Amino acid sequence: MVDYIRETLELMQANLTRTVLTLVGLVVGVAAIISIQVAAAGMAAAVNGAFRGINMNTFFIFPKSTQGSTQRANLGLSDLKLLDRNVPGVETAIPFGQTRTIVSAGHQHIMLKFGGESYRRFSTAPVVAGHAITRSDVENATPVCVLSAKAYKRLFPHAADPETVLGQSVYVGPKRYVVAGILGPATLSTASLGFDINNDVVIPYTTFYNDYQRGRPLFGIQVLGSRDATLATLEANAKRVLSDAHGGSIYQTFDFGFFTKKVDGFFGVIGTIVGAVGAISLLVAGIGIMNILFVSVSERTREIGIRRAIGASRATILIQFFVEAFVLAFSGSLIGMLAGLGIGELAQQILIARISGTIAALPWTQAILLATLFATIVTLVFGTLPALRAASVDPIEALRYE
Amino acid sequence: MNDIAIDLQEIVKTYKTGSIEVQALRGVTLRIERGEYVAIMGPSGSGKSTLMNVIGCLDRPTLGNYRLDGIDVSALDDRALAKIRLEKLGFIFQGFNLLPRTDAMKNVSLPLFYAKVSPKERRERAQRALAEVGLADRAHHRPSELSGGQQQRVAIARALINNPAVLLADEPTGNLDTATSEEILSLFKSLHRSGRTIVVVTHDEEVAERANRVVRLRDGLILSDTPTPHGHFSEGSVVQREAIPQS
Ligand SMILES: Nc1ncnc2c1ncn2[C@@H]1O[C@H](COP(=O)(O)OP(=O)(O)OP(=O)(O)O)[C@@H](O)[C@H]1O
Ligand SMILES: [Mg+2]
Repeated sequence: MVDYIRETLELMQANLTRTVLTLVGLVVGVAAIISIQVAAAGMAAAVNGAFRGINMNTFFIFPKSTQGSTQRANLGLSDLKLLDRNVPGVETAIPFGQTRTIVSAGHQHIMLKFGGESYRRFSTAPVVAGHAITRSDVENATPVCVLSAKAYKRLFPHAADPETVLGQSVYVGPKRYVVAGILGPATLSTASLGFDINNDVVIPYTTFYNDYQRGRPLFGIQVLGSRDATLATLEANAKRVLSDAHGGSIYQTFDFGFFTKKVDGFFGVIGTIVGAVGAISLLVAGIGIMNILFVSVSERTREIGIRRAIGASRATILIQFFVEAFVLAFSGSLIGMLAGLGIGELAQQILIARISGTIAALPWTQAILLATLFATIVTLVFGTLPALRAASVDPIEALRYE
Repeated sequence: MNDIAIDLQEIVKTYKTGSIEVQALRGVTLRIERGEYVAIMGPSGSGKSTLMNVIGCLDRPTLGNYRLDGIDVSALDDRALAKIRLEKLGFIFQGFNLLPRTDAMKNVSLPLFYAKVSPKERRERAQRALAEVGLADRAHHRPSELSGGQQQRVAIARALINNPAVLLADEPTGNLDTATSEEILSLFKSLHRSGRTIVVVTHDEEVAERANRVVRLRDGLILSDTPTPHGHFSEGSVVQREAIPQS
């Protein structure tokens, strides 16, 4: 067997250009399929990572805009308590409030995302100085704020230490808020997906209500579910409870499953396209390999004749050509696999690392299995005919052949 | 033990090309004993190569019986025939028929590869066989780097490596000049002396003279089957005769 393999390698070397051209198709096919696998795995990890920055058991509930009486559907503060009490699994419900506004500190005036939060935190970014919004902050609607890493850096660019910023003032228009805490960077966030519920400057939701939402219906309610609650059940129950309280009005919910599904769907489509391209190039590659083997059989008819005359049986010749097909298919698949892993890694570095800051490990085992599988399939499907033709060479005819 | 190496009975070989039938052999009965040195002669198209192919188990007769070394080969399948060719027969062809990209050593050891001999033993035996034909120092030359006579000697070494019962040569000197032919013929002579059965197809009367029996074919039939003048002589006188053309 080793002799067969060595001989095939020598042969491939002797016809280098032809070999390379033949293998290109296979390399492209395998590379395409494997790189998309790597990219998809990386993307999945990135998406999961992105949502790890926030509590995944969060959803938003809004009155549906197109319905008979929008008046009746309007949400108010009383609905927060309603959800809290009547929907099992709700940890907290707060008015959804998030705006982009100019926030000032000293000479800095920066456009930032500004919103309300409860003492039960929606964000999972670590607190690096001071503390997060407290229960008493919420109960007393105190004018305090917590800054994200970004807000801290931009509003206090000259601060030596987050600790020194605690107790300083931040202004939104005429309103003044005292810095109570600083958050560290959320290593993972939904921001890169074009949607970020993490605010840069957070104040108690009660303060936010008093300062910006009083006297108006709530735009929406943000609900934090307990860890073991299922979102679908929570959402269904919340809709029902609100609907009952508002004379059958219709409400709609929104959560991050939507994003995950969208990303999954996107990769499903890409995967299908790349799969199809890969399959086609594998087919073309297989035919190329079949062709090179046929050429090899006719070029070596005399050699086959000699081997047969010397004492090689048909079966032995068959094996020899199968080995040759496999060596070709396997080397092509191997190169394709390495290229695919390389491209996948590059895609991760360039695209995915920006989103999640992490890179999924390369799926070596999977790739090797896949490459071997391709090589075997190509060998069996496209090597059989040439090998059979080689085995059926008539030694007498072959030796007469000049 | 059987003393008859080749036993052909009423061998008929018919080739069909479209609707035309060619009778290449039309009933050949030939018996060759162990240790004989037989030359087969005849005009072109008389069926010499066909007969050799049948003897060499490369081709099956249309009719007739063939026993090689006591074995009825007409009943054997492809795998068994390959085994017979591997173990009992050594082929030497007119066109040398070495594998072009492969060096002398590997060419010679090829039958051992098919006989599943270990690589180490393959190398050793090939080296010895090359030494026997005087090419010990050419083991790693490719056929294109060897002269015609050297190539033919590689082919002979390959034919002999499995220690076959019968050595078959179809016009072994057809492509060689007189001096090189002479080298090959004296090699055959010494092989014959060491007890091998040799069958040689040739057009050349001088080549045929070296054998101790000449079978002449015409139109697929045996025309004559005669011992050469030295056919009955002892080995000593054969050597003497061999010396004459060289002086
Ligand atoms: N495969 C074949 N198909 C058809 N006819 C064939 C085939 N092989 C040989 N023949 C015919 O059989 C006859 C004998 O051929 P063979 O090759 O045995 O002759 P030969 O004695 O070896 O001739 P030469 O001295 O020219 O080599 C010829 O008429 C040839 O045309
Ligand atoms: Mg002939």
